[in-house]
Amino acid sequence: MSTIEIIDRAKSEGRTILTEVESKQILGEAGIPVARAQLATTRDEAAAAAGQMGLPVVLKIVSPDISHKSDVGGVKLNLGSEEEVAAAFDEIVAAAQRAQPEATVLGVSVQNMARPGVEVIMGMTKDAQFGPVLMFGLGGVFVEVLKDVSFRIVPLEPRDARQMIRDIQGFPVLEGFRGQEPADLAALEDMLMRLSAFVEEHPEIQELDLNPIFAYKDGALAVDARIVLS
Amino acid sequence: MKDLSQKLERAFNPRTVAVVGDKRAMGYLWLNALKAFVGKVYSVQINKDEIPGIEALGVPNYMSLLDIPDEVDYVVCAVGRAVSPRVVADCIRKGATAVTLFTSGFAETEEEEGVRLQRELGDMAREAGLLLVGPNCMGIYNPKLGLCQSSEQPQGEAGNVGFISQSGTHCINFSHLGYVHGIRCSKAVSYGNAEVLDVADYLDYMTDDPQTEVIGMYVEGPRDGRRFFEALRRATRLKPVVVWKGGQTEAGARAIYSHTAALATEEALWNAAMRQAGAVTADSLEEIVDVVKALLYIKPGTGRRVGLVAMTGGQSVVIADAFGRTDLEVPLLTPASYEKLASFFNIIGGSYRNPLDAGGTMLMGFRMDNLERMLDILEEDANVDAVVLESAAPFLKSRRLMTRTLLDNLLNFVSDYKERCQKPFLMILQPGHLEGAMVEIRSKFLARGIATFAGFQQGANALSKAIGHHRFRAGLD
Repeated sequence: MSTIEIIDRAKSEGRTILTEVESKQILGEAGIPVARAQLATTRDEAAAAAGQMGLPVVLKIVSPDISHKSDVGGVKLNLGSEEEVAAAFDEIVAAAQRAQPEATVLGVSVQNMARPGVEVIMGMTKDAQFGPVLMFGLGGVFVEVLKDVSFRIVPLEPRDARQMIRDIQGFPVLEGFRGQEPADLAALEDMLMRLSAFVEEHPEIQELDLNPIFAYKDGALAVDARIVLS
Repeated sequence: MKDLSQKLERAFNPRTVAVVGDKRAMGYLWLNALKAFVGKVYSVQINKDEIPGIEALGVPNYMSLLDIPDEVDYVVCAVGRAVSPRVVADCIRKGATAVTLFTSGFAETEEEEGVRLQRELGDMAREAGLLLVGPNCMGIYNPKLGLCQSSEQPQGEAGNVGFISQSGTHCINFSHLGYVHGIRCSKAVSYGNAEVLDVADYLDYMTDDPQTEVIGMYVEGPRDGRRFFEALRRATRLKPVVVWKGGQTEAGARAIYSHTAALATEEALWNAAMRQAGAVTADSLEEIVDVVKALLYIKPGTGRRVGLVAMTGGQSVVIADAFGRTDLEVPLLTPASYEKLASFFNIIGGSYRNPLDAGGTMLMGFRMDNLERMLDILEEDANVDAVVLESAAPFLKSRRLMTRTLLDNLLNFVSDYKERCQKPFLMILQPGHLEGAMVEIRSKFLARGIATFAGFQQGANALSKAIGHHRFRAGLD
């Protein structure tokens, strides 16, 4: 489905929160590097998808009502065989239904297990005063506890993308430390610029999180994504 | 609004002013404020008891704006809010360019009637193309024309610093405090509730005003943040803009679903906007005065390494601390510099690592030639980008050690040095308990165009921000 079709469908269903699969579809179309995910509605579909994309894979619950997938036992990493995938499907769906019985479960997303990199977060929100703004930060405890993030107002100039990455206190982590490879800053800057253009083209988007993004020494990949329409 | 910039030009440079509703109970606030105005002043006051007092001030009084036998460019409206719509209607009929509504009791009260009345006035003004400043404000200040917001305000001199303020108090206080720190306003405006004209309009005007070289502002909340951001970005490409933000407007509550929205606080976004637009920020009246002073008086430079000269050991320690706390650095000098310093520096009671602990070598100012050698060495040193001199002048004066000759020598010397020194240079007058002496000596240095600061941290912060601005203009960082 195209971006317009996805958004129209969500609107017609009275939804503002897009699923991970839908969000990644839209972002991928906009040229933003995302780990493509397929929706599987049965354990067999999940196993088939895994076989097709290549193992190992990650399975995640897909439900517009569940925001914190790991918290509900809705994520299974590093599944190495189609049997594991099928079993994981059942476990995830059951766990989600136990944790949130009211949630509409559409199935699971299947994607390749990404190589670990430096975790980074990017996002967007519409501010009442300044309009759309982009956010950047390191992931995990940096964003959750330390709130070490930077913002810029859309549209970004290349200088803004370069600067906002370097504005965070944790920037030295991106330059590589304790044997961790340095991150591809140019790729991250490019991602921010593409996100800025994407957000400008879609004023119907109210909020957006790319979290986590894995930054490697040669590129970056968004492993999860969430888009909220206004 | 059509012809907005021409109208603003006329509003800031009116030929005739009319004050409506001034009275004895208000101390003839406005008529007194305008007593030095170079153009014509008229009063409109219908209360017969007030008229003798007004005419005693030498101002002709009329029953209505429409009776004034002259064109009126700018009106100050000081009547109660209930009467204000009639005054605004008269301004429109009279063909005035601008009216300041000193009157309060509008949207700032958050009462329905106040909000409604403000909207009504706004609609009238917008439709007629009348510039409405305020309501609830002190309006326009143009010192060169004697167009003042209060009777004691500096006037008669043309300046080069524009100030835009959402608050009347801060506008007037900036003009006063700035004045004793060598700052002269070109124009200023206290814009209040911003019903018709908002901060972005005034910022655009000052950006294009050739008389204005530095813009300062006090703002609590622009009505159109995006437009303000764009106006700021345009302005900072041409001249420094220093923004002092007051208060936090309450964020509206709405459901949020993402990390990003949760982290995007008012404060975080405001700071980001300032950084992105290239604005310099200040957090108090004293700081904005210091930063504007630094931008006006210190040569532009993009390097962050400072060479410090202090008068005693204790001062050397804390001056280095103060500068080190900012993003400025206190580097070692070059070997060549140390060799030169070694040849004359009185090492007993004075080190010269950087900072240069110079008191002993200068002999309380009697060896000005040694001070000159020190400052020249710093000017030539490749590791130094900016030079800072602490003076004990107030201390010495208070101890009666400073004769007039000594002070004059120091003034002449520092003034010459500042002219020929290629690097940014500033002075810090060591904080002391005799504030009178400090004020006197500071004003002498400022009169010679030398930026002086009242404390080490203040000087360091102001220099750091000024350099930040120059680095932004140079496309660094």
